[in-house]
Amino acid sequence: MKRWKKRVSGLLLVWGASVAFALPAAAQAEQLREQTLGRPYWHVFLAYAITLILVLGWVVSIARRLRRVEDRLQNDAG
Amino acid sequence: MDKRTGLVGPLLAAIGVGLSLLLLWQVFFWVPTEVNQGVVQRIFYIHLPAAWVAFLAFGIVAFASAVYLWLGDERADMAAKSAAEGGMIFTTIVLTTGPLWGKIAWGTYWTWEPRLTLTLLLWFIYLGYFMVRSATENPEKGKRFAAVVGIIGALNIPLIHVSVLWFRSLHPQPVVMKAEGPTLHPDMLTTVLTGLVAFTFLFVGTMILRYGLERAEARLNVLEAVS
Repeated sequence: MKRWKKRVSGLLLVWGASVAFALPAAAQAEQLREQTLGRPYWHVFLAYAITLILVLGWVVSIARRLRRVEDRLQNDAG
Repeated sequence: MDKRTGLVGPLLAAIGVGLSLLLLWQVFFWVPTEVNQGVVQRIFYIHLPAAWVAFLAFGIVAFASAVYLWLGDERADMAAKSAAEGGMIFTTIVLTTGPLWGKIAWGTYWTWEPRLTLTLLLWFIYLGYFMVRSATENPEKGKRFAAVVGIIGALNIPLIHVSVLWFRSLHPQPVVMKAEGPTLHPDMLTTVLTGLVAFTFLFVGTMILRYGLERAEARLNVLEAVS
C-alpha cells in the first residue's frame, strides 16, 4: 500500500511538473506560430537581391554591347 | 560613343549608385519599422521608386514616339527604344517585389485586383513594343508600329495610378502623391524620397548610356553599308 501511494504521488508530481512547464511553452509556441518567424526577412532579402541583379544586369549588358560595337567601329575605321 | 553622352550618362548613373547606397543604409539602419506589417514593409522603399521610374520611362517612350511619328527623327526612336528597355527592367522589379511583399501582407503572391492586373498589362504592352519592332520585314515600318504601341501603352499609366481610387482594390490608397500632402512618417518619407531620386538618376544615366549604344550601332551600320 505504501509503495502504491509512493508511485501515485510520484506520478502526480511528474504530471504537475509537466503541466507547469507545458502551459507556458504552449503559449510561447502559439506566439511563435503567429509570428511566421524568418519569412518576412527572406522576402525582403529576395526583393532587394532581385532589384540589384536586374539593374546591375542591365548596366553590365549595355557596357558589354557598347564595348563590342566600339571595337568593331575602331576596326572598321582602322 | 560621343563625348557628351559618354560623360553625362556615367556621371548620372554614378550619382544614382551613390544615392542607392545611402538608400540601403537608410532602409536597414535608420528608418523605423512599420508597426502593422513589420520588416516586410521595407520592400516599399524599392517598390514605389521602381514603379515611379517605370512610369517615367514609359512616359518618355510615349513622348519620344510621338516626336518620331511627327518629325521622323531617328534620334527620337532611339531614345524611345532606350527608355522602353529601362521601363521593362523597372516594371519587372515592380512585378516581382510586389508579390514578395503581398505574400506577407495579404497572404497571397498574386491576386487579379485592378492595379496588379493593369501593371501586368503594361509589361505585356511593352513586350509587344519590342516584338512589333523585330517582327516586321521593313525596319522603318516596325519603328512606326512600335511608336504607336508606345503611345497607346502610356495611356495605361494614369489608369494604374487612379485604379486604387476608382475600383475596389487590395492596394492601399496613395500615401505620397496626395492632394493634401503625404501622410507618411517623416523618416519613411525621407527614405522613399531618397529612393525616388536614386532610381531616377540611375535610370536616366543608364538610359543615356543605352542611347549612346543605339547611336554607336547606327554609325556602325552606316559604316558597314558603305564598305
